[in-house]
Amino acid sequence: MMPTRAVWMGLVGVWSALALAALGVCVGSTGFENLIGPLWSPASHPDQAAMAQQIVWEIRLPRTVGAWAAGALLGLAGAVAQGLFRNPLADPYLLGSASGASLGVAMALVALGGGAGMLGGVSMMNGGVAVGVFSSALWVRIGLTGAGFLGAVLAVLLTLMLSRGAGHTLRLLLSGVVVGVVLGAGTHLVLLFSPDSLQAMQAFMLGSTAFVGWTSATVMLIVWLACWLLAGLLARVLDGLSLGDSTAFSLGLAVTPMRAALVGVLALSTGTAVAQTGLIAFVGLAAPHLIRSLIKTTHAHLMMLSSLAGGVLLMGADILARGLIAPQELPVGVLTAVLGGGYLLWLMHRGQTQTGGAS
Amino acid sequence: MTRCLRGVMGWVFVCLPLLSYGVTVTDDRGVTVTFERSPQRIVSLLPSLTETVCELDQCHRLVGVDRYSNYPAMVQRLPQVGGGLDPSVEAVVALRPDVVLMATSSRAAERLQALGLKVVALEPRSHKDVQRVMMKIGQLLEVPDAQKVWRAIDAGVSAAAQSLPKSVRGTRVYFEVNQGPYAAGESSFIGETLTRLGVKNIVPADLGQFPKLNPEYVVRANPDLIMVGQRSAAGMAQRPGWAQIRALREQRLCVFPVEQANVLVRPGPRMAEAARLMADCLSAKASEKTPDAKGRKP
Amino acid sequence: MVRSSALQANALCVRLGHGRHQVEVLHDISLTLTRGRWTSIVGPNGAGKSTLLKCLAGLLPYTGEVQLLEQPLRQWSHRERARHLAWLGQNEVSADDLCVWDVVMLGRLPHQAWLAPASEADRVAVEQALKSTQAWAWRDRALGQLSGGERQRVLLARALAVEADVLLMDEPLANLDPPHQVDWLSLVRELVAHGKTVVSVLHEIGMALHADELVVMADGRVTHQGACSEASTHRALEAVFDHRIAVHSLQGQWVAIAQTDH
Repeated sequence: MMPTRAVWMGLVGVWSALALAALGVCVGSTGFENLIGPLWSPASHPDQAAMAQQIVWEIRLPRTVGAWAAGALLGLAGAVAQGLFRNPLADPYLLGSASGASLGVAMALVALGGGAGMLGGVSMMNGGVAVGVFSSALWVRIGLTGAGFLGAVLAVLLTLMLSRGAGHTLRLLLSGVVVGVVLGAGTHLVLLFSPDSLQAMQAFMLGSTAFVGWTSATVMLIVWLACWLLAGLLARVLDGLSLGDSTAFSLGLAVTPMRAALVGVLALSTGTAVAQTGLIAFVGLAAPHLIRSLIKTTHAHLMMLSSLAGGVLLMGADILARGLIAPQELPVGVLTAVLGGGYLLWLMHRGQTQTGGAS
Repeated sequence: MTRCLRGVMGWVFVCLPLLSYGVTVTDDRGVTVTFERSPQRIVSLLPSLTETVCELDQCHRLVGVDRYSNYPAMVQRLPQVGGGLDPSVEAVVALRPDVVLMATSSRAAERLQALGLKVVALEPRSHKDVQRVMMKIGQLLEVPDAQKVWRAIDAGVSAAAQSLPKSVRGTRVYFEVNQGPYAAGESSFIGETLTRLGVKNIVPADLGQFPKLNPEYVVRANPDLIMVGQRSAAGMAQRPGWAQIRALREQRLCVFPVEQANVLVRPGPRMAEAARLMADCLSAKASEKTPDAKGRKP
Repeated sequence: MVRSSALQANALCVRLGHGRHQVEVLHDISLTLTRGRWTSIVGPNGAGKSTLLKCLAGLLPYTGEVQLLEQPLRQWSHRERARHLAWLGQNEVSADDLCVWDVVMLGRLPHQAWLAPASEADRVAVEQALKSTQAWAWRDRALGQLSGGERQRVLLARALAVEADVLLMDEPLANLDPPHQVDWLSLVRELVAHGKTVVSVLHEIGMALHADELVVMADGRVTHQGACSEASTHRALEAVFDHRIAVHSLQGQWVAIAQTDH
């Protein structure tokens, strides 16, 4: 039986990921170097082999795999978000998770710096509250990663509370925007206490795969698998919702609890990706569009293909980030914007030049 | 002929203010500011300028500082007028200063000048800058022995360098400014201090002042010693591949608490203290040369 | 022959809006819609026709009682209700990115096990639905590429694919040109002949008069319910539209003629 188009695309996605992984292993602080030879047959390149082994297995490979996993998480979250809100402009950060994660990281940065910055004179908050929130021991245990994840998840919970459940899409969207704006302002306020953290904060806001090791990569892969399975179970709901709330309900779907579950998937996947790699823009927005421009399919296939596309996109951006000005690095968020945004621009241009089609 | 004419004109311009017993200073924006007499009421909106004024023994002339100026201690009792980049214009004006010292990168200068205040914008970024700024402020405040103060600071840095045992020279150092990782390159202020102390920076000058590095670069460079602020130090050993770096394996880490990190990062008159802090840590951590695993002496 | 009721409403009241701005839209409606018949709901704008239909489908909160196939609506499980009641809404969002086949296949959701792929019965039902609305030729096209009328036919096919006993349709003729409106008419007749119940809200009076029964509404109340062939129904219809129309017989069909002079 002829494999369907979706299966072909899936295979393309997997093969590109493998090819990029091989490339990623060769690109590092010295630019591009062909390590496939020394790794494959260490005997023929003895001097290169030892250093190559350590660099590749401990640094480059986990980083490349982690980039794929983060991209897959964001691609999946993007597909879920666009299905939930029936809006092609939706991205995974819509429900306030980006601002929540930023606030969490900002508070952790300030706390890890010992709350310094409240210099001399009178501090803005009287002793007790300030010290409690910024007490270092707690924050060291949670770490920046934990702070980012907690921030993202708590922000989405706040959005759900504000919109009083997942009953109405518009109310959910509005609450998400409000929470995003308020928490974003809170982040700026917190950074006022510690302007030295601004550079570290900027690194977070632009996203970075620099410190992704095997632990991070494994965590992200496991979370991706779980989210994909859960989202796969709920894919039918997204399909039904694409015909409108009334029709979905008439088809026997328990719309509200399932929508809440999808919001949960969104929060978990986005929170994990953001905690490990910071705020990487455009992957969640561009990946589903990329797939939809190539194939019209139900959400079950869309979410898997979107994950694959997101993974490949972020892997490519990560390789470029380290390779272009080695040994310096570009922020990976800038490259995803260029790659993803460039593709969207081309899509729009192609859409405009294609006149006609049914009205 | 024109050159001669220009020279004469230049002398006339220099002498004119002298004739009026005023003070003229050209700041880093290229703006020349004239004062009838040396300013007695100073508002400083940059910590390094605050420290420079106090180093020249003119602390009593300060009437207001920004919220980040915290050294020396007496400065903390002065009224704070907001941040350096976003001062409270109202508060500054209310203090009726004769001059406002601020960074070149602040937008408030135009506003303050429009309100009739005199603004001198100076921003030291390198060792040479510290000397230049100190001379300028000395000229502004009519401090006769500014040069002497500078020489003392410079000598302090040299002394710190000489206090290092010979074995420490040539230690390969990595200075991390922020998580990212952002490193201090050879051409940065910190890099210059390290160079004067006689140690090698693994980040060469051609990478810029504060490049954002690929962490793999640090692993490959395998520095002997790592200097880092307390904030960024957390979790360094857990970074993928970093546990093998010599500095981390042998625990040759200089972790500077925030107050010390401030001294190290600010280009200002405390650079001798900064050099001393770095030298102390280098002596403590870098001097014992332990043989590595294969028994070879490094 | 005593027919059982497909849908029944008792003392149905609906309030829309929230808090202090709640407005009662349906006032104390009681009506019975018999099985195996086509009932049309007509009335002026704002009479509450769509609201009534949504209530009967269980899409709006209400006070009072609604019964589906002689069982209280609230007691039906989601799946069972979905299998017996199909809904075709008015002006609802459509999935521009799904292809026609997938859209119509969504109508089979109530019959499919949760993760099961499409079964043979599902495929047959979808094919039949698409053919009966003349949409079979575009089964691989994306919904967004179709014209308004074509899209409406696909959505209609989706509702047919459910193979439910009761079909509720709100303005099903939107965007359809006259030939396809006539097709829809034959389709409904065929469904009723097979024992299904169809309830439609139509503002095309001429089409509505082809139904078995007419429910006339005004201002949130039912003013008349009766067979389309009866004179009392015609009078009620004329009255609810302020006698701006008159119902006459033409070639064995009832038509509504505009009364331009009064």
